[in-house]
Amino acid sequence: MIRSLCAFVLLALVFAQAAEARDVTIAVLAFQGSERAVKDFEPTVAHLERTLPEHHFIVLPLDLAGIATAVEAKSIDFVITNPGEYVDLEYRFGATRLATLESRDHAVPTDTVGSTVVVPNRPGHAETFRDLAGLRLAVVATDAFGGWQVVSREMDEAGIATSKLAGVVETGFPMENVLAAIRSGQADAGVLRTCLLEDEIADGRVMADEFAVVAERAASDFPCRSSSRLYPDWPFARLAGTSPDLAKAVTASLLTMIPVEGRAWTAPQDYTSVHALFRQLRIGPYEYLARSTLMGFVRANWHWFLAAGLGLVWWIIHVARVETLVRRRTTELTREIQEREKAEQAARLHREERDQFSRLGILGEMASNIAHELNQPLAAITNYAEGITRLIDAGRTDPDILRDGARGIAGQAERAGVIIRRIRSFVRRRELRRENLDINEVVREALVLFEGPARRNDVPLHVHLAAGMPPLSADRIEIEQVLLNLLQNAVDAMSDPVARGRGIGVSTVRSGRTVEVAIRDHGTGLSPEVEAHLFDTFFTTKPQGLGLGLPICRTIVESHGGRLWATNEASGGITMRFTLPLPPEESR
Amino acid sequence: MIGDNDQPLVLIVDDDEAMRRSMAFLFSSIGLETNIFASAAELLQALPEPEHCRPGALVLDVRMPGMSGLELQRHLRDRDCPLPILIVTGHGDVPMAVEALKAGAFDFIEKPFKEQLLLDAVAAAIRLSRENLLRGARRRSVEERLARLGRRERDVLDGILAGKPNKVTAYELDLSIKTIEAYRASVMTKMEAGSLAELALMVSSVIDG
Repeated sequence: MIRSLCAFVLLALVFAQAAEARDVTIAVLAFQGSERAVKDFEPTVAHLERTLPEHHFIVLPLDLAGIATAVEAKSIDFVITNPGEYVDLEYRFGATRLATLESRDHAVPTDTVGSTVVVPNRPGHAETFRDLAGLRLAVVATDAFGGWQVVSREMDEAGIATSKLAGVVETGFPMENVLAAIRSGQADAGVLRTCLLEDEIADGRVMADEFAVVAERAASDFPCRSSSRLYPDWPFARLAGTSPDLAKAVTASLLTMIPVEGRAWTAPQDYTSVHALFRQLRIGPYEYLARSTLMGFVRANWHWFLAAGLGLVWWIIHVARVETLVRRRTTELTREIQEREKAEQAARLHREERDQFSRLGILGEMASNIAHELNQPLAAITNYAEGITRLIDAGRTDPDILRDGARGIAGQAERAGVIIRRIRSFVRRRELRRENLDINEVVREALVLFEGPARRNDVPLHVHLAAGMPPLSADRIEIEQVLLNLLQNAVDAMSDPVARGRGIGVSTVRSGRTVEVAIRDHGTGLSPEVEAHLFDTFFTTKPQGLGLGLPICRTIVESHGGRLWATNEASGGITMRFTLPLPPEESR
Repeated sequence: MIGDNDQPLVLIVDDDEAMRRSMAFLFSSIGLETNIFASAAELLQALPEPEHCRPGALVLDVRMPGMSGLELQRHLRDRDCPLPILIVTGHGDVPMAVEALKAGAFDFIEKPFKEQLLLDAVAAAIRLSRENLLRGARRRSVEERLARLGRRERDVLDGILAGKPNKVTAYELDLSIKTIEAYRASVMTKMEAGSLAELALMVSSVIDG
């Protein structure tokens, strides 16, 4: 019983206190510091306390974030803030404006603000926002609403980024500093709150034609020159939790307040234009709004962002991979092409060498191999023959064994014949191909081919080719073969270095209806025995020789209707000569 | 090991079939048995057969495909019953001849050759081969006999070869002279030696190699 009574008394006490002297908290945006904020709105608070004595009004200076926190915590009743934050509070927390600040410290009282951009009034002065590019712009502060942000929006819309300015000079309050900065040359242009210019002119501190207004707007119902659209001034707003009665009382009080230091309150303005400005510039309250909106969007659509991110990563990897593959393949291709070219070049070189080898060396170079090939069947034949002889001598005339030996001989003789045929077909491996030739040209070609062997053997070549040789019909390759064989023989005939030093003479001469080619060496000449067998097949004086060269040469020459013969020279060595007939029509 | 067959055998290695066949014909005409091989590898495969450990000769073409004649020669050198090797080649050149002879070839014949030359060389090789085999056989026989000796007999043999009188050996081995004499008789019997001189010759042929 006693306890419940105590509780009742306590409760009553609390209610009485709340009803009699309730604290009313007014948050004020302290954009120029707490003291300045308290001082600016001291007259308003004083007026409210005087007209509403049952309330105790407290001014709470806060920054933008502080106001938002306080509103969210419902720890304040009213708020005086800039238009930008107000629209944010209105949107987020249901704040409602009760009155709009009115500036009566100007020559022209107004409840709306804009910006006036001024430049010294000289010929060719900037006339549009775009003309401000490259100029230094004086502003009171970069977070000032009428002093900067309003102009920023206009420049943004005019398509000139503030970065195009040569610089932004912050002068600080009061705003008259902006004009001083232009006059002293620290800046080329300046931003003023609307009507300040008219105030200054009215007070005689600025000549009427001293400054020109940039991008002036025509506004019929506004008394001042402006470079921007107009926005409402700071609002006095109640919050969602504020009691309607208190709000009504405060509103009435504000509207009846006598202007103090140029500040008074008037009917609330429409703030949607402010909303648009901050949203466009993404500054002030919209700075974090924009950020949180973006973050919210990302959070809401994270899977799309993840997919897009993964797609991007995949694309980058794909591009890098393709790039690497292309580069690697290009390198490989380049190398392959180079290798193929090298191989082709080597093959071509080899082919040329082989062609030259077969034309030059024809039999001489192959003599060793051919000799071995022929040696085998010949040696086998000898073995069989000797064996048979011995068997017969020993009286062991078993017919089967003897037949074996005879068959062996026949087989090996056949084998030797095959080898010889192969050599023949190798030497004459194609049809005669007659063409009209200049014999001197053929000789020169053969000499070019023979240059190497001649130089290797230190044998000089003395060439005398008769001029005006008529063309003749012959097989170029075969005649070259003959020439090369004779040249090689000439070199082989001179083993003595002194003889070699005397060289080989090569000459052509026309003799009646034939052309005669002579090749002279300085060797030991021909003995009668050698001379007798010189053109016999398989007769040779060379250790590795086959005895095929000269017979083949003679066959070739004779197949052309010519002659090939050798003559001992009195001064040593021999001359090999061959003739080729001139065609009948040429000799006519 | 000496095979049962004492008849000489000529091994012919030549990659040319006509050559090896005709050579085989030639050798058989003077009553020589032959075996022909197309390659060194073929010969090496046939070698382990004891039959090929007969007196004979190897006629070898040096420049064959695959293993060269010189390589084959190196393989054959370390064999139990080495064959004298006759190098025959159509590509005779001095460095190759020098190398072949250094590597232990018996002779070097250049193709084309006079058949008599080849036959003479083969005959000489076979003689050498016979001597080698005989010497080898004799040595192995002595080695076998030596292996039959006991430890004391071996000691006594060493004493005999060193020319020590029985009493010196008896003293050194701490045995009676009678015992030494008994061992000595046993050594002579086991070594199948008719005299001390024969015994000394026999053993020295093994020791000298």
